[in-house]
Amino acid sequence: MMTSAGPSGLRLNLALGALIVVLGVISLMVGPAGLSPREAMAGLFSGEGAAGIVVRDIRLPRTLLAILIGGTFGFAGAALQGLLRNPLAEPALFGAPQAASVGASFVIAYGLAGATSFAVPIAGILGALVSIGGLVAIAGRRASLSVTLLAGLALASLAGAATALILNLAPTPYAALEIAFWLLGSLEDRSMDHLWIAAPFFLASWLLLALNVRAFRALTLGEDAAASLGVDVARTRLLVVIGVALGVGASVAVAGSIGFIGLVAPHLVRRAVNSDPARVCLPAALMGAVLLTAADIAVRLVPANPNATAIEIKLGVVTALIGVPFFLAMIFRERRLLDGAAQ
Amino acid sequence: MSAKPKLHAANVVVRLGDVLIVDGAALDLRAGELTVLIGPNGAGKTTLMRALAGLVPAEGRIEIEGTPLTALTVRDRARRIAYLPQGHVFHWPMPVAAVVALGRYPYADAFSAVTDVDRQAIAKALAATGTEGFAHRAVTTLSGGERARVALARALACEAPILLADEPTVSLDPRHQLVVMELLARAAHSGGAVLAIGHDLALAARFADRIVMMDRGRLVADGSPREVLTVERIATVFGVEAMIAADASGTHPVLLRPI
Repeated sequence: MMTSAGPSGLRLNLALGALIVVLGVISLMVGPAGLSPREAMAGLFSGEGAAGIVVRDIRLPRTLLAILIGGTFGFAGAALQGLLRNPLAEPALFGAPQAASVGASFVIAYGLAGATSFAVPIAGILGALVSIGGLVAIAGRRASLSVTLLAGLALASLAGAATALILNLAPTPYAALEIAFWLLGSLEDRSMDHLWIAAPFFLASWLLLALNVRAFRALTLGEDAAASLGVDVARTRLLVVIGVALGVGASVAVAGSIGFIGLVAPHLVRRAVNSDPARVCLPAALMGAVLLTAADIAVRLVPANPNATAIEIKLGVVTALIGVPFFLAMIFRERRLLDGAAQ
Repeated sequence: MSAKPKLHAANVVVRLGDVLIVDGAALDLRAGELTVLIGPNGAGKTTLMRALAGLVPAEGRIEIEGTPLTALTVRDRARRIAYLPQGHVFHWPMPVAAVVALGRYPYADAFSAVTDVDRQAIAKALAATGTEGFAHRAVTTLSGGERARVALARALACEAPILLADEPTVSLDPRHQLVVMELLARAAHSGGAVLAIGHDLALAARFADRIVMMDRGRLVADGSPREVLTVERIATVFGVEAMIAADASGTHPVLLRPI
């Protein structure tokens, strides 16, 4: 790395790592079963009795998935922002999760595969790939922010319509209901199988993004200057798009649509790394894991109507309720930038 | 003429789509020389410079220190040619020192630490451009003149034998125009081969060791300021009536009115 991680960057990463551990432990203790912390820990390590089943089979997978998915969204958001050189870039703004939803809901609706099959994440990843690839192709290489956002909005709307069509034509009301709830985004009732299915895609996503992190720093000078410094801009763009699609597609396939972590997480840590678009990636990923784990704890603590179909408030609802106002606040702050881009 | 040129270009043709932008350009850049490329808007100056930097595919021959440009690896090319694009773009509010450090990008990979050579090159570039005083400020908070110097410092930090600068003085106040031209001249006279695109003929006449004039894709003149900047050429190429004053200190074109 050209500029070594300063003490603040290192300290931030360590602090975020510790926070993930703390939240992870809390996440194992929270739930309707009402285990004491000691029972929960005993259940985790022994795996015996009711506590063992609750902690190991119900709470552990959702905790690990919250960390992995949150981390993936944080990383993907920071990477897209680095690639597009824009702090408002977010996978959801470009229709990636929505497009992943189309692929995944199609597979679920037509029962092409069980919910724990590889077909769901693969369909989700294909959807995300098509949307991000389409965005880069439609908006073009030198697209201004406004063109990129408009194209993303259009793709997201198109994906939304396609999902609505699938719901509309769902073979059974049961399938439609399943898709509808799944779309809201949740980590409820996920098993270790979900984790194992998604893990290879997460790993591939992180690897692809990590390989290109350095280029984001050169890209701060613009594409031409970056190319003159030895960055293969076209290759970087392709690999990052694929990396984001793999991560987001697998996340959506497992957890439904969970938005705005990729926007919020990098923003919260950017100052600590002096706005370095490469060094922001690791703390952004850690912050994403913190945010999603915390949100997933919150949905279990907020009382919901036990007589309703949904026992818990859905995770995607919470992240959107927090994320959208945050996004609006950022637009408010970046108004000048947006005005400039529109010219 | 002096030793072998650092950059040798012959018969360079660039087409963007079906449009012929650069039509058979031939150009040598030598160590110790500041060459200024002038020409009206749309003459193809930027495209020629991007071709010389290897950023746009070109027909013809471009050799860097005797090696064909296309035979160089991307990293090798980046170490030999520093390219400063138009506009002095900085997308993130990074500290000035971190921006200038990007000049060392071709010398590092993801796992290598900053070496003493890197540190020295960065410190030298900051000092040469007088930017060390605000090395820790966010680059986006600087004035246009300060940004131009930071952009130049970034290019100088490459310590490449060839420096290509696209309109480095554009939108700068008179003082900063002089400062930037002096820096480019100093970079050349300390052994670099420097090519800069400019629109100010008086500035070019004053600082350039050589002027290359471009018009509609072709290089129409190449020589000392006195040789290239004639009343006739300024009239045909720029469509401007001019007066040329020449004295011991050099050639001083004065532009009068559009023809």
